[in-house]
Amino acid sequence: MEEKKISSFLDRLKQNAKKQEHYGGKTEENEAKMDALNCINCGAGRTKHDGITHCGYCGYEFIKVKLTDGIYVKKEDNSL
Amino acid sequence: MFGLFNKKESGEPLPEWFATLEESKERWFLFLEKLEIKIEELCTAAIPELKELLATDEDIYKRTFHRVYAGVNGQLQNIREKARDTYDDKITEMYENIKPEISVLNPHYNLLSDFRTVCSERYHKDFEQKYEYWPNQLEKAQERDLEIEYQKIVTEFDAIKNKFNCKQCGGNITIEKIFFMTTYISCSHCQTQNTFDPSTQARMLQNFAKELAEQRTSHLYEIYLTENNKERELYHERHELSLSTIHEKDKKVLEQKNIQMDNLEKQRKEVIKNAPKLYHTYLRAMYDEWNKITPDLKEHNEKMYESQINN
Repeated sequence: MEEKKISSFLDRLKQNAKKQEHYGGKTEENEAKMDALNCINCGAGRTKHDGITHCGYCGYEFIKVKLTDGIYVKKEDNSL
Repeated sequence: MFGLFNKKESGEPLPEWFATLEESKERWFLFLEKLEIKIEELCTAAIPELKELLATDEDIYKRTFHRVYAGVNGQLQNIREKARDTYDDKITEMYENIKPEISVLNPHYNLLSDFRTVCSERYHKDFEQKYEYWPNQLEKAQERDLEIEYQKIVTEFDAIKNKFNCKQCGGNITIEKIFFMTTYISCSHCQTQNTFDPSTQARMLQNFAKELAEQRTSHLYEIYLTENNKERELYHERHELSLSTIHEKDKKVLEQKNIQMDNLEKQRKEVIKNAPKLYHTYLRAMYDEWNKITPDLKEHNEKMYESQINN
């Protein structure tokens, strides 16, 4: 009797857990990918020595903040 | 049940309230026994279910598993609360109700205080000890071999590291290391900044890197724990010896025991000095391992290490 009660409690618990929607929705699982962004203003590509905050050709602003040293992005990546 | 109340104090007849106490005590013992059975049945049924759920839960954060885990833990806590509430309602209250009627000098006062002691020990020692065993067992159900997860990421990295081309010139781009967040990779041919977006699986690396490092260095942590626990063991051993000297009259035996006690105290002091050293050894090894798994976080990890050893 007691065992039956416990198994039904666990079954209900599992069912409810599976039914419940994940907070923030279902997570998407993505594959690794590579992309490149061209300047929205003039269409020029972004190159390493031009930095990443502004377009090296027309000066279009890609990123508003001034970059500081992070894990992968460094302060040298600010455009001049 | 234990024959503790069978003694008739000073030959006087037992008071009226004694029967009520006996009945309450019997019921309390039965009640705790039932709760203990319930806890055991719940956990023995839940642990295999939890393990299966952890293995089959497709969510990357294993959220379905964690919900069921929290549910089982909640049920356990409910049982514990039930025991506490009933103890307050039935045992403490009964004791408090009878206490004002009986003076401490009353020959039957012992019956009342024994009632409370026996019931309290059955609850605070036996029941709690049995209860505490189970949350640890449940926690073990959520352990998983992170080496398998790590291996999946390494295999994926090997498969993709030469797969990408520059979006501008089409030149090959080699991914140098396992990235766990979006980053810029410049093309070696045309210098275009390409944005590399790691897979969801690779992104998980920074979430479990520390746990994996802890798994890899757990043997060192065990060594530290064993050493740390020795302090109490040595203390109790010495304490037992010191108690045995109270009525000891033989000077030779006393001398021998004193030497033994000094020796134990010396060992205890040694352990107190040694345990933190072993902890630091473990911590350094763990952080080294962590840095090996995610070298890009080394600077950040080292700051954490510094603050951990200085506190």
